[in-house]
Amino acid sequence: MEKSHPTGWKHQKVSLMTGSPDNPMGLPPRSMSDAPQRQHIRDESEPKESDDSLLQRVSERDQSAMTKLFDRYGGMVYSVALRVLRDAGSAEDLLQEVFFQLWRNPTSFVSSRGSLGAWLLVVARNRAIDILRRRRPMESVDDYPLSSRENLASEVERGAMMQKVRSVLTVLPPEQRNVVELAYFEGLSQTEIADRTGDPLGTVKTRIRLALMSLRKALQA
Amino acid sequence: MNGGIHIALEDLAFYAMGNLRDEERTRIHAHLQSCSECREELSAISGDLTALAVSVEQHPVPPAARQRFLDSLGTEVQAESVSETAPGVTPFPKPASRTAWLPWTIAAALGIGAAGLGVKVNTLREQLHNQSQLVARAQEESVRSQRVVNLLKSPGAQRATLTAAKTPVEPTGHAIYLADRGELIFQGNNLKRLPQGKAYELWVIPANGTAPLPAGVFVPDQSGDASVVMPPLPPGIAAKAFAITIERAEGSAAPSSTPVMSGVPTQGD
Repeated sequence: MEKSHPTGWKHQKVSLMTGSPDNPMGLPPRSMSDAPQRQHIRDESEPKESDDSLLQRVSERDQSAMTKLFDRYGGMVYSVALRVLRDAGSAEDLLQEVFFQLWRNPTSFVSSRGSLGAWLLVVARNRAIDILRRRRPMESVDDYPLSSRENLASEVERGAMMQKVRSVLTVLPPEQRNVVELAYFEGLSQTEIADRTGDPLGTVKTRIRLALMSLRKALQA
Repeated sequence: MNGGIHIALEDLAFYAMGNLRDEERTRIHAHLQSCSECREELSAISGDLTALAVSVEQHPVPPAARQRFLDSLGTEVQAESVSETAPGVTPFPKPASRTAWLPWTIAAALGIGAAGLGVKVNTLREQLHNQSQLVARAQEESVRSQRVVNLLKSPGAQRATLTAAKTPVEPTGHAIYLADRGELIFQGNNLKRLPQGKAYELWVIPANGTAPLPAGVFVPDQSGDASVVMPPLPPGIAAKAFAITIERAEGSAAPSSTPVMSGVPTQGD
């Protein structure tokens, strides 16, 4: 039964009693590859304005175009921020920061260097790592093109890419996956990963190389 | 020229992620200036790494966060439009001489600029008034919210569990969970005392089948009462159940024992 919260939200109430539940703990451990599989469905009949067109309108200070970009990519940016920072409030702040950066300086994104979606993800991830590690903002990587094969503006392509990456992460040896996660989502250097895992630096290098090669192979498939 | 020696794949990846010491980053940056192959590889690796960002569990933007963005955007647009509507300097008729018109132009520009500033000051004053009212309302709500939190957390508050007559007192817990916002309040009563170095830990069991989310570590007081108010939880995770396990005093990232209490939600989605 659903009940509407006065604020419009739906909430759950539960009473906890002693006794054995319906095995609520019989679940696999949380990890990147165990994230729920979601089917993205979009109404294909709905006209979809291109990123370039929306960006052009943003540069002309069109608020509705900015809202469309926020709705198109906000979830992705928020999700990666939440994955790195593990705090909803901090992730929300970062979300605001990333999109206001785009609003105030839409030319900071150069379309010849890759897709807007990929660029926003890189900006969000890098800024989240800066916050996590309390370090000065890292040098931007957008001096170099971002080779992204998929169009992240398309939910269908985004969903397919998500499936591909999750599949490859699932079959990676756990130690390889761990190295990737420590590097990408915690921002650790190779030496820091070696210290954290207790493995020799050479082993860490080999693992990240093998993991990257598997990822490349899956994305090219 | 780079003598045919290239940067290793993993080093390029750490360069792309920004996870390098300054000297290492400088070395690779210098190499990239003269090596198109490595630049190409860096581009490809950066794209591959972005796929990792796409693979994370997707959470919708909380509606409140979206509204906050739209509100801030609206305020900014309004401020921009105010500065744009302030009159600018209009072209002056072609002067008879190169210098005779100059004082008049400056005077006119100053006059028009002052008028524009006057408009802007009035608008800003109005905005300030509106913002002040919003702040006052927010403060009232904040005070009320803080009182609710204080009541729930206060060790001095009297607590009672009401049961049917002649029913033995059992440990009970009540959780109120707002999945959309990841907000939770838990109140436990008549909980059993724990050995030294142990604590209870509350878990949200997601309906989507992912692993239990830690939702607060607590130790009941001498009366067996305890509460958890607004533990850090990600928004948008509907719960299929809630459970409590006994863990070490500092808590665990994943449950290490079978639940001593559990329950399933009776309302919400």
